[in-house]
Amino acid sequence: MATDSRVIDGFGQVSQTAGTVFRYLLLFATLAGLIALTVLLLFVANDAIQPLTADPGWHLVFLLTLVVPTLSTVGYLLARARAALSVGVAALGLVVVSTMFAGGIAMILVDIIPPITWAGYVLTFAVPTVALLAARRAVDLPLLAWLPVAAVVYYASLLGIPGPLGSVVGLEQTVPSVAALFSSLSVLPADWLLLVVTFTLPVAAAVGSYVRPAGDRVAAAVGVGGVAVASAAALSSSTVGLTPVPATTLATLVVVPTSGYVCRTVLSRPRDRIGLALPAVVVGGSLLGAVLVRAFEFAGPQSWVDWQFLTSAHSRAAIDAGLYPAIGGSILLMVTVALFSFPLGVGAAVYLEEYAPNSRLARLIDVNISNLAGVPSVVYGLLGLGVFVRYFDQPSGTVLVGGATLALLILPIVIISSREALRSVPDDMRRASYGMGATRWQTVKNVVLPRSFSGILTGTILALGRAIGETAPLIMIGAPDVLFSLPTEFSAKVSAMPLQVFAWASLYATPEFYQRAVPAGVVVLVSVLLAMNSVAIVLRNRYQNEQ
Amino acid sequence: MDQSTDESPDPIDESVIETNVADAATSDTARGPADTIVEARNVDVFYDDVQALDDISMSIPEQRVTAMVGPSGCGKSTFLRCINRMNDRIDAARVEGELRLREKNVYDDDVDPVALRRRVGMVFQTPNPFPKSIYDNVAYGLEIQGIDGDYDQLVEESLRRAALWDEVSDQLHESGLDLSGGQQQRLCIARAIAPDPEIVLMDEPASALDPVATSKIEDLITDLAEEYTVIIVTHNMQQAARISDKTAVFLTGGELVEFGDTEQVFQNPGSDRVEDYITGKFG
Ligand SMILES: Nc1ncnc2c1ncn2[C@@H]1O[C@H](COP(=O)(O)OP(=O)(O)O)[C@@H](O)[C@H]1O
Ligand SMILES: [Mg+2]
Repeated sequence: MATDSRVIDGFGQVSQTAGTVFRYLLLFATLAGLIALTVLLLFVANDAIQPLTADPGWHLVFLLTLVVPTLSTVGYLLARARAALSVGVAALGLVVVSTMFAGGIAMILVDIIPPITWAGYVLTFAVPTVALLAARRAVDLPLLAWLPVAAVVYYASLLGIPGPLGSVVGLEQTVPSVAALFSSLSVLPADWLLLVVTFTLPVAAAVGSYVRPAGDRVAAAVGVGGVAVASAAALSSSTVGLTPVPATTLATLVVVPTSGYVCRTVLSRPRDRIGLALPAVVVGGSLLGAVLVRAFEFAGPQSWVDWQFLTSAHSRAAIDAGLYPAIGGSILLMVTVALFSFPLGVGAAVYLEEYAPNSRLARLIDVNISNLAGVPSVVYGLLGLGVFVRYFDQPSGTVLVGGATLALLILPIVIISSREALRSVPDDMRRASYGMGATRWQTVKNVVLPRSFSGILTGTILALGRAIGETAPLIMIGAPDVLFSLPTEFSAKVSAMPLQVFAWASLYATPEFYQRAVPAGVVVLVSVLLAMNSVAIVLRNRYQNEQ
Repeated sequence: MDQSTDESPDPIDESVIETNVADAATSDTARGPADTIVEARNVDVFYDDVQALDDISMSIPEQRVTAMVGPSGCGKSTFLRCINRMNDRIDAARVEGELRLREKNVYDDDVDPVALRRRVGMVFQTPNPFPKSIYDNVAYGLEIQGIDGDYDQLVEESLRRAALWDEVSDQLHESGLDLSGGQQQRLCIARAIAPDPEIVLMDEPASALDPVATSKIEDLITDLAEEYTVIIVTHNMQQAARISDKTAVFLTGGELVEFGDTEQVFQNPGSDRVEDYITGKFG
């Protein structure tokens, strides 16, 4: 052969037909569910928003001010600066998600926990915390001695002296709780001022510390500017038809974080700052479009997802019906679920991963937690009914019972995903820590938890997403289908978005409810879910970059 | 070494190790620098039923570099982990025999392994800095051990001893993970020596590094031996010959087949098996 120097004209072909068929089958498998769901959501969104009922002029205006500029910005960034595009998408997402989040918080502050109560809570925890920290500086006691001291101090702050323990033995309250003291003050600052101090300040400080790597001065400017903006928003709120509390909330949660992100990007990633054009174009285009549409008097779509829908309660007439109490209920449920499931779930995960001996019992627990994750939600509803309502004698269908039931439902998921996050901390890190003479607690606290925290948070948020969509357990514990006002305390009856949508689709299923109100409810529910998931995805990306 | 331990503020309250050290130090004040600090007496280690170390006895001198060489799987790392009881973390591992650190058997019931590890620093095969700043990495041991003092100064001193200060002095607050592999390993060494341990264990500290970084680490180890007792595992014969005062040769089956002054082990090995191994005929 070596002597054969003829030139060949090819190597022949190897058949890849089967492989190609297989590949496209896999592609189909990947996309099938996605496509089906997308089509469904498009139909639902079309029913809810009815874009075709708008004037052609309206479409034209937004096409020119919003769609075309956005698409060309995206196209430009795609071609020239991909990294910048992701910065732009992140900034845009931040604006959208933080607006939704701020809406929820504003709702709570307006209708559920007035700023004065909130400030009372903050003080209840801030006062003893500061006092204890100062005392720890001054007095040198072992940690175990501090625990009872801390318990007593927090108890006194929360409940006063002697508090409910005193009333059991017949002692009268001599020193009221911090919150009671606070609300009995004769002169109280305005609501918005309380908010600025107890809410904007911490947020501004957090954002400031996020900006800090880009420069101390800018960070300080962002922090101080944030507080100023929030105050200004409160003072000028009436000009845009808002009351001071929502205006302050919006400024605190939307303007401050967004400007923090923008500042940090501009300063520390100068090459990517062009990406910020994307949110600028989208926000600017929407505002310009809205102004123009009003000027030309073009009618927009007769969307069912409108301000009225978001802010009113259920009504017999579909056209007047809204989702407000259900949105509030879902938010309160989420808060309760998070309060229960986060510490329990993360605690269990840390125990199982870091402490549990590798025993048969541990393996048994292990397997059963996985099994629990698969138990149908109706069964958890039954559990909630049996345990909380029947056994603990709670009133049925309250925020507390609903939240606790949903927390049980997602507990296994939280545990499993947190364990996943803990397990992904390389054993190298633990070895390094133990090798330095760290105790297990020091290792968990200083190395394992910081390293896995964003992963744990991601898993928890995704699990909360599951809880927010659950209907069956709420029905089982006797939550009302529809409510006419927001639940204002943990012991109030609660409804939730999926429950109300379900009620509209069954009990009240007139064609109008069925064809319009239900899709509108679904759009709101899915938007909230997507917002939560996008936060989880951002966290997960950050976490993967850390690895 | 004695000096430095005396100076250092002592973090471990009345641990068994500590009292024992004090005894040893007072009863033996005129001790020369090459006294025994670690002594293994008939140490066997099993992973479940598999024996990884077979009847190891040796005396490791203070303030010297002792190298452990041998083919992979012969139990070098296992032996190293016996000294600071990192084997405790492995469920399957079981240690028999005595391992004395300054005359105190570290496997006695009254020994707290956490307190023991505060006396024995460890550097691992792959650099494993924490995802924290360079400063926080070095300060980690100081913090968890509750050592008082001027951390800025202690951190600087440790980084200088680890021959890293000049390269990182202007980026102390940047992540330790942004450093090159060799720098990361020196950071780990700085972290290990910051709380001023008596012994530094190193498990193939240069095997994941390029030749330039390796030679820096080797120089550093030689310097460290002026103050610390260094016990280093390596499978690189030349490295052992270059940097160590004593060499222990382990062979498959977890046997210690030769232990003595490095020069003697390399020039005049006691058995054919060792000679075959160090001249590269197998392993
Ligand atoms: N965690 C472990 N579990 C079970 N067996 C182990 C473990 N670590 C090491 N071994 C076994 O012990 C023996 C010695 O391993 P090691 O000490 O790591 O050797 P070396 O460091 O010399 O390469 C090997 O046979 C190895 O398989
Ligand atoms: Mg090894």
